[in-house]
Amino acid sequence: MSNLITTENLSFSYPASGERLALPVFEDLNVEIAEGSFTAIIGPNGCGKSTLAKHFNAILLPSGGKVWVAGLDTSDEEKLLEIRRQIGMVFQNPDNQIVANVVEEDVAFAPENLGVPSAEIRRRVDEALKTVGMYEYVEHAPHLLSGGQKQRVAIAGVLAMEPRCIVLDEPTAMLDPRGREEVVSTVARLNRERGITVVLITHHMNEAAAADRVIVMHKGGVLADGSPREVFRQVELLREAGLDVPQTVDLLNELRKSGWDVPLDALTPEECAEAIKNTGVGSPRSELSAEKHKEIKGAQNASTDAQPILEIRDLTHIYSAGTPFEHTAIEHINLAFRPGELVGVIGHTGSGKSTLIQHLNALLKPTSGKVLFKGEDIWKDKKFTHSIRGKVGLVFQYPEYQLFEETCWKDIAFGPKNQGITGAELDARVRRAAGFVGIGEELLEKSPFDLSGGQKRRVAIAGVIAMEPDVLILDEPTAGLDAAGRDSILENIRAYQQAQNAAVIMVSHAMEEVADLCSRLIVMNHGKVAMDGIPAEVFTHVEELTGMGLSVPQVTSVFALLRAKGLDVPPDVYTVRYAVARLLERKEGRPC
Amino acid sequence: MLKDITLGQYFPGKTVVHRLDPRTKLLLLIVYIVALFMAKSFLSYGLVLAFLVTVTVLGRIPFKSMTRGLKPMLIFILFTAVLNLFYTKGGTLLVDWWIFHIYSEGVKTAFFMVLRIMLLISGTFLLTYTTSPIALTDALERLLSPLKKIKVPVHELAMMMSIALRFIPTLIEETDKIMSAQKARGADFETGSLIRRAKALIPILVPLFVSAFRRADELATAMECRCYHGGEGRTRLKVLRFATIDLLAFLVGALLLAGVIVLRHFGL
Repeated sequence: MSNLITTENLSFSYPASGERLALPVFEDLNVEIAEGSFTAIIGPNGCGKSTLAKHFNAILLPSGGKVWVAGLDTSDEEKLLEIRRQIGMVFQNPDNQIVANVVEEDVAFAPENLGVPSAEIRRRVDEALKTVGMYEYVEHAPHLLSGGQKQRVAIAGVLAMEPRCIVLDEPTAMLDPRGREEVVSTVARLNRERGITVVLITHHMNEAAAADRVIVMHKGGVLADGSPREVFRQVELLREAGLDVPQTVDLLNELRKSGWDVPLDALTPEECAEAIKNTGVGSPRSELSAEKHKEIKGAQNASTDAQPILEIRDLTHIYSAGTPFEHTAIEHINLAFRPGELVGVIGHTGSGKSTLIQHLNALLKPTSGKVLFKGEDIWKDKKFTHSIRGKVGLVFQYPEYQLFEETCWKDIAFGPKNQGITGAELDARVRRAAGFVGIGEELLEKSPFDLSGGQKRRVAIAGVIAMEPDVLILDEPTAGLDAAGRDSILENIRAYQQAQNAAVIMVSHAMEEVADLCSRLIVMNHGKVAMDGIPAEVFTHVEELTGMGLSVPQVTSVFALLRAKGLDVPPDVYTVRYAVARLLERKEGRPC
Repeated sequence: MLKDITLGQYFPGKTVVHRLDPRTKLLLLIVYIVALFMAKSFLSYGLVLAFLVTVTVLGRIPFKSMTRGLKPMLIFILFTAVLNLFYTKGGTLLVDWWIFHIYSEGVKTAFFMVLRIMLLISGTFLLTYTTSPIALTDALERLLSPLKKIKVPVHELAMMMSIALRFIPTLIEETDKIMSAQKARGADFETGSLIRRAKALIPILVPLFVSAFRRADELATAMECRCYHGGEGRTRLKVLRFATIDLLAFLVGALLLAGVIVLRHFGL
């Protein structure tokens, strides 16, 4: 295979601006992308992967060295359009790359710019939309589509240029599992069936595992490069760079550490289950460990004795009631939350999660039913309703987009100030909240707009924590962050929960994350509570969960497969730590 | 709550009115407005009204949507009616009570004024109901293209307009989100003095502007990636072409205008 894209001793630095010094990103970087290949680029935030992608189609030009695209030098201005036509690009935020307000007009945008005759544009638009499975939406308005659909329209918009290569810069970061699957399978199909070269930048290791080559970037250099199997077996190297490995690899790695003879490069649950089975660990055994189950459950449900701090009674919410757009978002919900609980709420987009949580702090008024805070109706009078906002703190998705003050201190102080807190107490609150999220004193006087993405998010969360709520609700607090950023935010949340004995409710799409963190899971589906229990219990319903468009942690799939193969392993495994413990017990001949 | 606002809503369809070239419709609207302002009598107003009703029926636009479009303007319409009713003198004195004097001429002017405003708004709505915003900006760009000769950036203006239209729903949604988020931090937009309320808007406006700039920046890059380089050499998916129905439409428009002018000439 010949190379479609080659960087030759590429150097690049963002120019100095104001007080900021020039920021070098690469120094002598050499990367080749073979024609027809499917390459994934992974790396922590700020490693230069997006900057590199922008060099592939001459959006950025090298400060030193060269970038060659299909034999063309990207710094040759004459060839600019030809390069951009051949290398299409799809970005993270679907809303910010759709130009027109009708799907077909948007897909037509690029060929129109290229001066393609109308009849040919028509043909290309129809074909591109059929390829991504969006043809039935030809005349729709893009803003009414789901995230996954919007991204597929964006891909169609690039396809209409008939490119040789598509570069996707974190196209799934803002999508739910269903949308993510739509996008990744579309891209994989284009590569397989059309031979289009694909470069996929991602934070999701499972997506990278589907590529035929993985490049790991770190601090502007290439840390590892090879097939997914070769790359992901370097567990320690990846961890040091602040990256995740797929759970299957993690599990096998832990088992190897304990002296098991398993291969390290299983990327799918099937391969992993096969590898574990081959060790002969699972001679069928009949006695089931019912007692052990109870034991675990008992330990995790300890908090049920406490009085609920927040109760939902027969809650129903209907949007635009009495109009043709009437739509029931949630119906007949009954739930109770207790101090010290860490609850995960999962469900695909449109299942009613967001509507539910906005009732908890009185942003939405129930159509029928009640929300009780410490036994009192939160809508009983205006003053009480207002005060609830401070007692039940709600952190929205992408909270960093709500920052507005001149300094971080002022922004964090906004919430408590609205509650009437002033003077020394206000200052103490701000500093305490900043402490919880690991924002140092030196940052408090800085503008929030000068911080990094992860820091901004932490300041925004501090803005809610500063109200010192008894219940803290977070809507996808880790969306779009890399592994290191995600871990530190989850740690902050846990710290707050423990220090205040607060009830924490976290909405998330990342099953591995809620499985690891939460003591209780609520699964929403079609506006109803489909499941409510400890993770061990919920994740035994693998089929029901997948039927609702949700995924289960990879280890859970591995154990489900092992059971299907006739091995008597427990069904309630949902974290790598627990899986390893169970398997080791087996090996030593103790009952699971 | 903000989502309920509809701005120049478009009802997709395949009727004769929908199929007309947007340029034709735009020009017809101008003809219609001229005719409306020249109308002076019941007869000529009737002619204009008949035209509007015919187009509405042909375009299969429910009359309910037409009246709904008028609702937000109701106060303005009533205000105009009252002003005309009391301040126009002439004809016979109908009511003479305290400081209120109503003349027959006043009733007539008020009636015509209300009719004129309603017909004006309805006509404009009819255009946006049956023409997609993108077709409209396209039509504007084409109609104004002679201005390019005197260095008016017609293409750029049309592009700006269509992007603005594209982002209105997105920004409305965003405003909703930011408002909820600041409310969750105890912000209060509903009570207090005017100044306090204006100040309460800062936590909404700052994030909104920051986000709009970020979106603009990302959109510009995405457009560049899709080979956008201004209007030069650009082709279109849908080419505007005048057809026989457009000619017919112009004829009808000309007849309307001629009719009103003739009636006016005879003092009707």
